[in-house]
Amino acid sequence: MVRYLLRRLNLFLATSLVLFIVLFIVTNQFPVEQRFALTGIQSPNAQQIAQIETDFNLNSGVFNQFIAYLQQRLSGNLGISATSQRPVADELASVLPATFELAAVSGTLALMFGLPLGILASLSRHKVTQHTIMAITLTGYSIPVFWLGLTLSLWFGVELGWLPISGRLNLLYEIEPVTGFMLVDTLLSTSPYSTSAFFDAVLHIILPAITLAVLPFTVVVRITRSAMMTIMDQTYIKAAEARGLHTSRIVLRHALPNAVIPVIKSLGLMLGSFASYAMVVEVIFAWPGIGSWLVAGIYQRDYTVIQGGVLAVALIIIFLSIMIEVLHTSINPLSRKELYASN
Amino acid sequence: MPQIKVYQGDEIPSPMRKIWLTFADNPFAFAGLWAVAGFLLLAVFGPLIAPYSAEHQDPQALLLAPSWDPAGTVEHFLGTDDLGRDIFSRLLHGAHLTFGVALGIVLTSLVLGFIIGSISGMMKGLKSSILSHLLDALLSIPSLLMAILVVAVMGPGLNNVFWAVGIALTPQFVRAIHQAIHEELQKEYVKAAKLDGANPIQIFWYVIMPNVWDTVIIQTTLGISAAILDIAALGFLNLGAQAPSPEWGAMVSQGMDNILTAPWTVTIPGVAILCSVLAINLVGDGLRSALSPINN
Repeated sequence: MVRYLLRRLNLFLATSLVLFIVLFIVTNQFPVEQRFALTGIQSPNAQQIAQIETDFNLNSGVFNQFIAYLQQRLSGNLGISATSQRPVADELASVLPATFELAAVSGTLALMFGLPLGILASLSRHKVTQHTIMAITLTGYSIPVFWLGLTLSLWFGVELGWLPISGRLNLLYEIEPVTGFMLVDTLLSTSPYSTSAFFDAVLHIILPAITLAVLPFTVVVRITRSAMMTIMDQTYIKAAEARGLHTSRIVLRHALPNAVIPVIKSLGLMLGSFASYAMVVEVIFAWPGIGSWLVAGIYQRDYTVIQGGVLAVALIIIFLSIMIEVLHTSINPLSRKELYASN
Repeated sequence: MPQIKVYQGDEIPSPMRKIWLTFADNPFAFAGLWAVAGFLLLAVFGPLIAPYSAEHQDPQALLLAPSWDPAGTVEHFLGTDDLGRDIFSRLLHGAHLTFGVALGIVLTSLVLGFIIGSISGMMKGLKSSILSHLLDALLSIPSLLMAILVVAVMGPGLNNVFWAVGIALTPQFVRAIHQAIHEELQKEYVKAAKLDGANPIQIFWYVIMPNVWDTVIIQTTLGISAAILDIAALGFLNLGAQAPSPEWGAMVSQGMDNILTAPWTVTIPGVAILCSVLAINLVGDGLRSALSPINN
């Protein structure tokens, strides 16, 4: 197991290195001066120029430049944003929690509703129920997320006026950021209106979270259903039935743990498209997360923001997908046959 | 003289025909196939049958409702947008931009991914690891981020979307094909062929590939639907097809200004995207269930 973990760590480092190489090459391709693309300082004075040149080793060969670039980026120097003049690392720290909050809520929603619905769909022998569930999930899988977001906000936000459609919190409330997670911060806040602020934050997250949850929800339902259908035909389930166990016990104790394994695997594969969807959802609902920050960055051609954002998102995805793979291996004895992970 | 059938036994269909029969048994998949064929025809002949050109502006009919609305007219079947452009014609003109470009992207990245994936799948050890994991870094950059990088370097436009989505899709093909080949390589029948003295190329093409084609086909349908959604999302974010273009996602973003007074300018292109992706997914789903008995 240790060897396997070391291999995965190795994979993480290698993939991150490739990512840095890609970003380094792309940075040199940006249609602006190299110094500006690296630091975001629009018109540096002589002293700053000298500083940049020593920091990024600009006068030596490409390889040394890359080493210097790597050192700078790994030590947290992501440059400053050309538009806000603030360090990109600080901005990242302020937008990442919002994205994590949104992703966590919609991921939870998807699993909470997807798993039971998938199980129900697999147990029902009724043609109509099965077709309905498949039709719903297939539609959910095919729907363009920006259009879904617009339609939901038009309907629930404007026509019915039930839910707010932009931002994380009403401007009336002023909440001191502690963790960056609005749902936690409002509860931690000592102000007299913290409860009402919490409910306001909940109302704000409903629409974006539901929009974002549609894709993972449909994937979870489909995978759970097909996995459960295969598992319920296995002989060990028949044995459990023959022993006279209750259906709920068979499903929850004997079948579900095996059905969860492919679900976890598909979650790992979905991370990339989930991140893309999250960015679009953030733009539509003006959610101040990393997605809308990045899209604003590209509109303003803010090259340091683009690099920092792409780097952060890609590193998070690499890390999470490797974590999910490790989790998948640790709970699935079958995949340990290939523990040496040669593929 | 009519031939007399001596044997009463049923005709045994070939594997291909069996797949086709299972596929055709599923009415939803079949409907999806018809819809895909329809979209293909529209992508090729759409501009010919469109009543107006994509940029034709009718100042007499601004924000006209679709024809089933009492305020609408039949001349503009799906209504018009804020510049008086006929939405139906724009949809027809945009079909090859959204649907056709998606097909082109998937074909290109399929060929690339197939070559890299088969080479890395047939190799063993470090070389195979390097080839397949080299692209993992690209796989971890979501298509939208890749598009942002490409746009940052080359500027917005539909051509650059081609590169962005293509670069994001290729690693998926590489990975799927690599894994399928790798799995097949470990099976006994490959060993048998090896003992018979088949060389690696024969093993690859005659022994392994027949069992990998279904993975390729399924991955292709998944890729097409992902590509359509990505192109539309980039058009919506104004990073892909630019403003006057009738690309469907760009049409949604152009309709955003009037979403409150004329919701159909957003709804109708959205429904078009939904229908095309749904049709592809129906076909993909049908193919998957038709191919799965062979897998198991």
